[in-house]
Amino acid sequence: MKIVKDGIRGSNNMFGHTHDEHFSIDCFAYKSKMNHWNPTYKVFLALVTIIMCLVLNNLFVSLFVIMAMTYLIVVKSGLNMREYISVMSIPFTFLLLATLAVGFDFSRHPAGEINMDLGYFYLITSKRSLLEMFRLFIRSYAAVSALQMMTLTTSSSEIISVLKKMHVPVIVIEMMNMIYRYIFILLELNNKMKKSAHARLGYCDFRTACYSFGSIAGNILVVSLKKAETYYNAMEARCYDGEYSFLQENKKTEGVHIAGASVFVAFLLIIWFATK
Amino acid sequence: MKSRQIKIIILLSILALSAGITPAVSAMHIMEGYLPPRYVVAWGILCIPFLAAGYFSLKKTLQRQRKTLTILAMAGAYMFLLSSLKIPSVTGSCSHMTGSGLGALLFGPSTVGILGIIVLLFQAILLAHGGITTLGANTFSMAIAGPFAAYAVYRICRKLKVNKKVCYFLAALVGDLFTYCVTSMQLAIAFPSETGGVSASFLKFLAVFAPTQIPLAVIEGLLTVITMIALETYAKNELSYLGFDVGVKINVKE
Repeated sequence: MKIVKDGIRGSNNMFGHTHDEHFSIDCFAYKSKMNHWNPTYKVFLALVTIIMCLVLNNLFVSLFVIMAMTYLIVVKSGLNMREYISVMSIPFTFLLLATLAVGFDFSRHPAGEINMDLGYFYLITSKRSLLEMFRLFIRSYAAVSALQMMTLTTSSSEIISVLKKMHVPVIVIEMMNMIYRYIFILLELNNKMKKSAHARLGYCDFRTACYSFGSIAGNILVVSLKKAETYYNAMEARCYDGEYSFLQENKKTEGVHIAGASVFVAFLLIIWFATK
Repeated sequence: MKSRQIKIIILLSILALSAGITPAVSAMHIMEGYLPPRYVVAWGILCIPFLAAGYFSLKKTLQRQRKTLTILAMAGAYMFLLSSLKIPSVTGSCSHMTGSGLGALLFGPSTVGILGIIVLLFQAILLAHGGITTLGANTFSMAIAGPFAAYAVYRICRKLKVNKKVCYFLAALVGDLFTYCVTSMQLAIAFPSETGGVSASFLKFLAVFAPTQIPLAVIEGLLTVITMIALETYAKNELSYLGFDVGVKINVKE
């Protein structure tokens, strides 16, 4: 639990992300007030929203999606606005840089509408590509918001159970269930090893840091293989027959939610028709 | 200052800035909602044969030896961990390893493919890196193209009797660079340049990612060598357990 707290506290800076972030996203899902909603419903709502953002490819639809998803996460799910911003800052920086690359071109000749002389070549762009860049950014951001709505309110094990309902092969589901659990074990292991390396001045300069990194990575693999054997024996001892079955809360889909989703999708289509 | 000097300073600061905000591009994930629907479907379909091959090889391995299940799951968790580890870098920015080179060396490329898509899905869910609709494109570049290139380079170098450490280094380096080229290509096909089409756009994306990706690939190569040395020193048994030197993916015999 301590690690989880550190993760949230550490993610206060707006740009740049801490590496305990993964703990916090999962933790937010458990704390969320939307946690009792039906997971299948949430996953499908997110998927439909993302697909509509992509297929309709409309600026106003995307803006509306961003607003609706922010409302769901901040008001309905009860996530602190500051925490929400810090979670969204990672995809935000990703997107900003990636879309900048789409908006601008490099050329040896001033061939665009707007040219910036950089000595050996020109940074060129046009109003059209700037607009295109803006639309792409908003579309992507809307899709990311929808995805975040899902991940910030639905725990990973529930998402896996939805995949199981969608008939993803059993082996893959089993692997996912195990990988999900092992990730946390390995992360804790890594934190411990890093701490002891720090305590022994393992990161005093670049050379030593590289050496420490390599040793930790190698060591974790060795320990993880040993653990894998222990877990296998433990599972066999408990009659593992190739399929995990977890006791899951039965979360009913409420009529209000279905109605809300239908109105939402209808509204997106109306916006699309109106601004086409 | 002369105008030329000012330009050089501007250019240098852009470079420095892009190196400073490395986390954004280092992982090379294509974000959710970034690709148009056509390419979402196309890259997804392109992944299917590789994933099916990975799935069947996984199934066969499990039928032969059930014990590998936990080992493979650990391998997946290990790949996730590798890709979320902050690697030491000079600028103080945080960059991540892709881990695909090391993964391919240890577990074989077809296994990495099927584990890779699970790891990428978890990265989208837990870390907000990448996305669901871009899962196909990301899987292709990071879990299929990169590992296969790394593995091919490793096998070729071993055949040519190159020094082992050089083999590891080259495999990880080429795996990384190939991933970076494939991602640039994916972006270029989806967003061709207005003036020069796909090829100009490809060069542009290569150039944009180069200042962060090339040093990162070199660092990843070095780290892979260090990790492999550590493994060879302390974990000879485990390596042979993974069928490492034999060239068989995972082959456990009781």
